[in-house]
Amino acid sequence: MGLLSIIRKIKRKEKEMRILMVGLDNSGKTTIVLKINGEDTSVISPTLGFNIKTITYQKYTLNIWDVGGQKTIRSYWRNYFEQTDGLVWVVDSSDLRRLDDCKLELDNLLKEERLSGASLLILANKQDIKGVLTPEEIAKVLNLEAMDKSRHWQIVGCSAYTGEGLLEGFDWLVQDIASRIYMLD
Amino acid sequence: MEEGAEKHKKHLAMVERLSKRSQRRSENAESSSSILSQLSQLKSSIESQLAQSLSSDPSDPSKLKLHFQNISQSISELEQLVAQNSYSLPSYDVRTSLKTVSDLKNSLDLLTAQLIPRKKFSFKNKPTATKKDDSAIPQPKQLSTLNSDFPTHHSPGFANKTSELLVADFRDSQVGEFTLSDLDSCQVRIIGSVRALFVHRLKNSTLYVGPVTGSVHIEDVHACVFVIASHQIRIHAATKSDFYLRVRTRPIIEDTNAVRFAPYCLTYPGIEEDLRAASLHDETGNWTNVDDFRWLRAVQSPNWSVLPENERVGIVDISNFQNGDNDL
Repeated sequence: MGLLSIIRKIKRKEKEMRILMVGLDNSGKTTIVLKINGEDTSVISPTLGFNIKTITYQKYTLNIWDVGGQKTIRSYWRNYFEQTDGLVWVVDSSDLRRLDDCKLELDNLLKEERLSGASLLILANKQDIKGVLTPEEIAKVLNLEAMDKSRHWQIVGCSAYTGEGLLEGFDWLVQDIASRIYMLD
Repeated sequence: MEEGAEKHKKHLAMVERLSKRSQRRSENAESSSSILSQLSQLKSSIESQLAQSLSSDPSDPSKLKLHFQNISQSISELEQLVAQNSYSLPSYDVRTSLKTVSDLKNSLDLLTAQLIPRKKFSFKNKPTATKKDDSAIPQPKQLSTLNSDFPTHHSPGFANKTSELLVADFRDSQVGEFTLSDLDSCQVRIIGSVRALFVHRLKNSTLYVGPVTGSVHIEDVHACVFVIASHQIRIHAATKSDFYLRVRTRPIIEDTNAVRFAPYCLTYPGIEEDLRAASLHDETGNWTNVDDFRWLRAVQSPNWSVLPENERVGIVDISNFQNGDNDL
């Protein structure tokens, strides 16, 4: 309890949150982070490795770790699990074929003990494209209702292209983390 | 002097302890068969108790709870008995007894879950949380029906074709994602602009694509030629294929070998406007900036190369169906 209260105090002072962005390749993780930060999203190469962005959001400082999703580097995701307050799982709503892959990787991630306390935001990205799956359909395919009842989670449809839904998602995530860590101050 | 007496006392106590222990041990060894019968007795009594709980009155959960508590106590007694005698029992018997214990525990858990609905702690306002428990079993079925709801032809595209010329013209219409899958010895022409392109399982095929304003995802292709302009391109599990690209960002390859890259070389009436609208009118030179995720080193990856100029096709015009077929 001693250590936990010390960590809480430090975090309260700095109001910092550590957010981990993961998901299959081509889901739009980097584009989402840059869009939130108001940067140019028209020239983004597939992420080789990771990017860190520090963003001031409301009264909090978000440290966003955006980790590449290519198959080869998914095994390195584990290196970023420690002390994660919020987990953002990004889904390409237009990629029907790889939804099974997507479910598998998410299930594996949620088994991870170091992430067990993290709030989970699922972003159903690319909603601006015609004929893609809705967030409700994705929730069904990923079987989110069957998730461990202790997990705080939310699924939000969004478009990193237009920016729609991003703030709604991050608002929920930040509020949820704040209510856990900062005890509703 | 006093110290010596103390020591002697201790020694005596130790000897006594040891002798008692060895006596107990030998007793145990003699009675290993009696222990086994004791174990099996306990086991059958627990089993009958378990069976009883099924026929008991389900309207009184407190009684049932007490009953289950008794059973769980008997099981832990059984477990203790096994543990106490684990030294004297043959290892096979220890193993089977431990298995029995865990089996009994499992069936008790199952019965408890069945007969006493667990109260779930939930953050949601929905009062349906307790009902969810019952739906845990049929869920896989639900998932499979869902999958059939979203077949691959959900998205526009071409699939399962052999030796055909496939043409899609989007100059006058808006389209979201477009999917090409399971094509063998086909030629595909996509005129106009699409948002996203998915390509998988292609063999001996040629693909001409107008500007893609989002990303292109290619997986599992062999002996193909691709002419593509797009913002992003990812190539997975490709072999012996040529890519003529214009990309705003660095193309990537993964699990790929013997692929070659060259600049974009496509034309059709109106392609200039389409390219400009997609911000792809300028040559970026990125077609040669390939990142190989299987070769994270400074030296050139052995998996890809630049297509020599004298082996490249010229400008390909796909406006006329007869032209260009034999060029590649």
